[in-house]
Amino acid sequence: MRADRALRILGLAALAGMVATVWLGLFVTPNAVGYPDGTVRLLYIHPPLAWVMFIAYGMATLSSLLYLWPRTRHVRFDRLAGASAEVGVVFTGLTLVSGSIWGRPTWGVWWTWDPLLTTTALLFVLYLGYLALRNVPGEPETVARRAAIAGLVAFLDVPIVFFAVSWWRSLHQGPTIDLATRHSYVHGSMAWTLLLGFVSFTLTYVWLMAHRYRLAALRDRENDEGLGAAIADRWAEAVR
Amino acid sequence: MSGYIEAGYVIVFGSLGTYALSLVTRERAARRRQAPPPPDATSGVPSGQASSGGERS
Repeated sequence: MRADRALRILGLAALAGMVATVWLGLFVTPNAVGYPDGTVRLLYIHPPLAWVMFIAYGMATLSSLLYLWPRTRHVRFDRLAGASAEVGVVFTGLTLVSGSIWGRPTWGVWWTWDPLLTTTALLFVLYLGYLALRNVPGEPETVARRAAIAGLVAFLDVPIVFFAVSWWRSLHQGPTIDLATRHSYVHGSMAWTLLLGFVSFTLTYVWLMAHRYRLAALRDRENDEGLGAAIADRWAEAVR
Repeated sequence: MSGYIEAGYVIVFGSLGTYALSLVTRERAARRRQAPPPPDATSGVPSGQASSGGERS
């Protein structure tokens, strides 16, 4: 099938990008002054993880809105929201862990109640709750509608996390690339490796989300068939 | 390089790899469950005639 082939090519591109990012990040790019033990090399994975987290929650919110809008309501948007949020939770967890590993040699602590860290941890918990809510039993339409509303509520924290790095000058460093002034604090091979990190992590997100979406679609079909078989059995018993 | 960098890379890529593998495995398992049984699985009965409950009565 064409979709399978496209997904396989996407997966290979993401894998190649990841391998190149690791190689450039660990062995090619120079060390930077002011970062103990070369920890600047975590730059090539930590901001791309956070970037994908924002894309994933943005996609989940857009899908939730499309599901709630009567003219565009379709189960595919509910599946898309669930798939994107789950991948987003994985990336949020890894953003927190990689940040913590970077914070230990830089700040001397694994964790601090810095505004950016705190709001990101809150985001992680909010979307974990969203995923838990999706598993609460009920009529499929009711489950989808309440998940969509919860997804919109959880998204309120996303702009706070996004701008926290600019709003509060705290322990966490400022943005590496300032979108407002279009100024980058990294140059040369470091900037290219960071860009490659953003691209390959984004491709990985798309690949993971596509597989998660397909899994959800298969499970929905399985549930529908199971329900159909159960109803048929009951009818057969009643007729006998 | 410090152990922090290696730990960071191993945890991030190890977790992403494990998650990707779990998705692919679960998707394949779901596909296998939904696929129609092969002809030899019904001891020679041609596909289309194999039935799980049609001969109960």
